[in-house]
Amino acid sequence: MDVLLAILTLFGLYGLTTLGMAVIFAATRVVNLAQGDLIMVGAYTAAVLTGPAFGWRVTLALVASAPLLLLIERLLLRRPLADGLATMLVTWGVGMALRQAAELWFTSTSRSVDAPVGGTVTVLGTPYPAYRLVCGLIAVAVIGLVLLAAYRTDWGLTLRAVADNPAMAALLGTDPRRLRTIAFIVGGLLAVLAGALYSPLLAVNPTMGFGLLVPVFFGLLLSRPGALGTAAGAALAIATLSVLLRTWLTDVLAEVFFYLIVVAVAALRSRPWIRRYMSWLTRVRVPARAS
Amino acid sequence: MAHTRSRAGTGILTAAALLAVTGCGGSAISDTGSDGDGPLKVGLIVPLTGPVSSTGKALRNAFELGVEKVNEDGGVNGANVEFVVVDDGGDPATSTQLARRLVQREKVSMLFGTITGDTAEAVTKVADDAKVPFGTAILGDTGQCHPYAWGFGESTRQLLTPTIPALLEKYGKRVAVVGSDYNFPHYYLRVAKEQVKRAGGSVVGEEFSPIGQTDWQPVIKRLKAAKPDVLLAMVVGSDAVSFSQQAKQFGLLSPQLGYDGAPLDSDYYPALNALVNGRTHTVRWTDRLDDPDSRAFVADYRKAYKFKGPMPEVAGNAYFGIQFFLGAAEKAESADGEAINTEIGRLTFDSPLGENTRFSAANHILQADMFQATIKPGGAYEVSRELGRVADTTPMPGCS
Repeated sequence: MDVLLAILTLFGLYGLTTLGMAVIFAATRVVNLAQGDLIMVGAYTAAVLTGPAFGWRVTLALVASAPLLLLIERLLLRRPLADGLATMLVTWGVGMALRQAAELWFTSTSRSVDAPVGGTVTVLGTPYPAYRLVCGLIAVAVIGLVLLAAYRTDWGLTLRAVADNPAMAALLGTDPRRLRTIAFIVGGLLAVLAGALYSPLLAVNPTMGFGLLVPVFFGLLLSRPGALGTAAGAALAIATLSVLLRTWLTDVLAEVFFYLIVVAVAALRSRPWIRRYMSWLTRVRVPARAS
Repeated sequence: MAHTRSRAGTGILTAAALLAVTGCGGSAISDTGSDGDGPLKVGLIVPLTGPVSSTGKALRNAFELGVEKVNEDGGVNGANVEFVVVDDGGDPATSTQLARRLVQREKVSMLFGTITGDTAEAVTKVADDAKVPFGTAILGDTGQCHPYAWGFGESTRQLLTPTIPALLEKYGKRVAVVGSDYNFPHYYLRVAKEQVKRAGGSVVGEEFSPIGQTDWQPVIKRLKAAKPDVLLAMVVGSDAVSFSQQAKQFGLLSPQLGYDGAPLDSDYYPALNALVNGRTHTVRWTDRLDDPDSRAFVADYRKAYKFKGPMPEVAGNAYFGIQFFLGAAEKAESADGEAINTEIGRLTFDSPLGENTRFSAANHILQADMFQATIKPGGAYEVSRELGRVADTTPMPGCS
């Protein structure tokens, strides 16, 4: 049971971040390298504002980051959009600037955040820290909501259409610029939320998001662009793999196997026959293509 | 679709490559010391960026004050000491490169600094090759001795010899060890096993985890299952904070469990205060040391760098360590690395770290005093017991 709970908690963290990255990737075809640093922004907001209750701090982190994300998108990402690599470099720079700013303001000494809910709850006979459960559940709920929006609303349809074929979507009357802005903000906010929500479990410091980027990256590698469901699925797979390996093996061995397995899966996926099989699956699953 | 996906793949691969390339770049000579014509030049290699930069900066600050103090007192051999500060970002490949540059291009007579064990090892190799002494201020040794490397931090044995019997007596005989997965924590475990056995206890659990771990649940679960009375933690950096916090949330870190190790260092106090208040911690130096030299240094440091929290131990070690090194250079009456190195081995030096402190020829470990500090709310590491000189003359391969 506690393996399942561990997967839930870890999936919440990886899922929010990976899904955020996937939303941005779908709309802009850019891997947002600042995603990890947005986690850090969320966590610092929760760590620094000690006055208001934790829930308010999380809300405030989201409210305060939205204009920041808008500004980043409008000022920095607009121009080089023609060139994917240049935009990615810009996001790298943004991340670096955020890290440096955090180091300047808060120094590189780690901080901690008190969990708003203490104690343990017993889930089916297994005692588990209450806050870990709460933040896992909130994260999964948010991931569910985003997926619901992606597959059941007009915005989601447009997003998937742009992800599938930007030129065609533009010809059919979507405004790609507006969509990109919204996608960047939504995707970024998911990372900020992940950071704020998980701050009581982590050490808050300027480089904290950087380490989280690796599993998120693997998640993105294993998902299909535009299909947000696969991004959440990949994050779940990564979290499950990581927890299971670390339950069975020592941490050091588990890490080695983790990388081996992920790289092997990624390599296998690119084999032509597996790719063909997967593309059949997509045809059935993605209604945006039919419209 | 196939086309789109391959583009996506390229994007992700490029990003991965970017991460790899930029992750270990970015370092340069950033600062030079006084412009005097003195013959002696010291090269300081510290991480001023990256995950251990806060400790690196503390070391640099204290080092600068130490050199300043020597210069105020007339310098070395009648001339002001110069120094060059370089930032290795905590990356051993960069440390090697910078150490070589300092020796070859800057012609430094001695090297000082580094925080993590792997960067120290990298610089040690260069120092041995170039026959230039190299001083470190961090605690710990890895069981190897090098002719040109000298450590001012306490050795693992000096740390554990007084710690383990005290903990075992107070909490119980079952000991578990958790560490970050690199050479020093593994060596720490080896010495801990020796000492626990000598004190009549047993090591019931050992766990190592790669640096940068975010989720400690599997490790904590295994440690809990081992039912330890005492937990020795050599998890470093931000892991010290996340581990302690999660161990508390899972109920492992209770007042009934003895807890000592890196997370109790004053560096982490701002993050862990409530978790470590009231516990005792073995140190070589604390900013609460009741000694005029130490008090003057603390006052200078706090004023010069507007620093309020508990001062890291590495600051004290670096401040008095560099004065020891420069004292040896004065004795050597030369800027030649080899001559200074010989004097470092011979010198006895008085400082708040102890009277007549000197290096053991068998292992290059500083024979100095240790203290037991009790952590008070607000981050005061008050000396609760003077442990006196804790000798460690265990011979190590490489020097004897």
